Amino acid sequence: MESFINFTNQSQGRDRIFRTTQYACVLSKYLLRNSSARKELVVKLQSLESNMSSGRKLLRLGNTVNSIDAAKRTLQLSDPVLRLCLTMANLSRALYFTCDSLLWATNVGLVHGVDKERWSLNASRCYFLSLVMSLTRDVYTITQLMVQRTRDRQFQHKIDQHLNESPDVATVILPQLDAFVYLLIESLKSHPSVALDTLKNICDLFIPLDRLGLYRSNPGVVGFCGLISSILGIVSVLQPGLKIKP
Amino acid sequence: MDSWVRFNAQSQAKERIFRAAQYACTLLGYTLQKGGAGVEVLKMVKQLEAHMSLTRKLMRLGNSAEAVEAAKRAVHLSDSVLRLCLTVAHLNRAMYFACDNVLWAGKSGLLPQLDQDKWSQRSFRYYLFALILNLTRDAYEIRLLMEREARSSHSGSKATWTSSPSPSPLENNELSHSSLPSLPPTVLALLSQRLSRQFRVLVTVLRSNPPLLLDLLKNSCDVFIPLDRLGIYPTGQGFVGACGLVSSLLSILTIVHPWLKLKP
Repeated sequence: MESFINFTNQSQGRDRIFRTTQYACVLSKYLLRNSSARKELVVKLQSLESNMSSGRKLLRLGNTVNSIDAAKRTLQLSDPVLRLCLTMANLSRALYFTCDSLLWATNVGLVHGVDKERWSLNASRCYFLSLVMSLTRDVYTITQLMVQRTRDRQFQHKIDQHLNESPDVATVILPQLDAFVYLLIESLKSHPSVALDTLKNICDLFIPLDRLGLYRSNPGVVGFCGLISSILGIVSVLQPGLKIKP
Repeated sequence: MDSWVRFNAQSQAKERIFRAAQYACTLLGYTLQKGGAGVEVLKMVKQLEAHMSLTRKLMRLGNSAEAVEAAKRAVHLSDSVLRLCLTVAHLNRAMYFACDNVLWAGKSGLLPQLDQDKWSQRSFRYYLFALILNLTRDAYEIRLLMEREARSSHSGSKATWTSSPSPSPLENNELSHSSLPSLPPTVLALLSQRLSRQFRVLVTVLRSNPPLLLDLLKNSCDVFIPLDRLGIYPTGQGFVGACGLVSSLLSILTIVHPWLKLKP
């Protein structure tokens, strides 16, 4: 009970729960789209999803300032690649929140004459850019971990052992690929926060890819990916050790 | 910037800002209507208010659990009156949040056949009970502090009498001289003197206890909202909006300055 209250007290925790519910609705609607007996349920899911979406837009109203503040902090990182990637990611997220606030104002009726479709696409573009930057950072971190591992003598012994003990056809023909995959998996296992963040970003990527028309999937895939990334986000809030740093 | 980020991160703080904005919309709608504004503007303000209200209901979805936990903590208080008032107030708040959750389900389309008026009345009744208990607690604390203040000022005056014996006969003579030409005091004069003394003690107590004053003001403003909605004391949209706005601003103040929050 204590942990539930502490979790929901955080603004981010609540937002993750609403996001999970929102994408669960998208996925359920897609799965039930052909069932004629469940039409009423589909209508309810639609109204719940739009409710969550509009509520989350209102709750996100202050986040531009948060992102700019985060960008200021990442500007002071020592590693140049991390500095570039994270600052760009935070700045594009700030732009995304600005577009999102404008869309909210249009939906509510505070401003008129705004091209909703254009600004919605702009918001998706900014979100896509921030995800690409985050993934670049993940790839860079994983590369660094793998390089660190290869330098480790103990690990070199382990990898030779692994190659010798499984004489498959694949390992005989492509020993380097097998070694690479083994190295990758071992690096990810030792740093679960990086693995979680990479998986979350990959899942999230399908949402703007579909919206921008770069890789058209269907609402089911979008719902599923959104649901997975939201659950991973909840896990990273519940277990602060699994949150990637910086 | 740093304080805004910390403030924003607290879910409760955001909810209070939206509450302030919601009641500002209510007040704005009333003033615009009185001022004869257009239908479009009024519709937009009403829509904004409804949107904030629904989102706040969404944000409050987990609050029953929090209220029950607060009630569990209040059961262990040492003072019996405080224990009773606070525990029952928190339980009433938990019931209010439960009714509020049901209302959200109805308004968002999950339970379309819900009798929204009935559940709305129920939730406001629980809210009113919780506010009455909070006001009782405030009155009890004020009474305790006033008694303490009266006792300390009385003992203070006694000390000045005993510590300076020589000027006292002179003072006595002066008093007797000044009382000779005046009329004998009536009951009304005695009562008004007593009331003014009590009032002065009350003002001293409230001035030296800003958390108590803030809580009293907040609860007094809040109580008009359910009184109007339940039809017990209808005051109108403008007054309700103003009261809601003032109480939301006061609670934002207690979040920004945690020392201003009344404990327990």
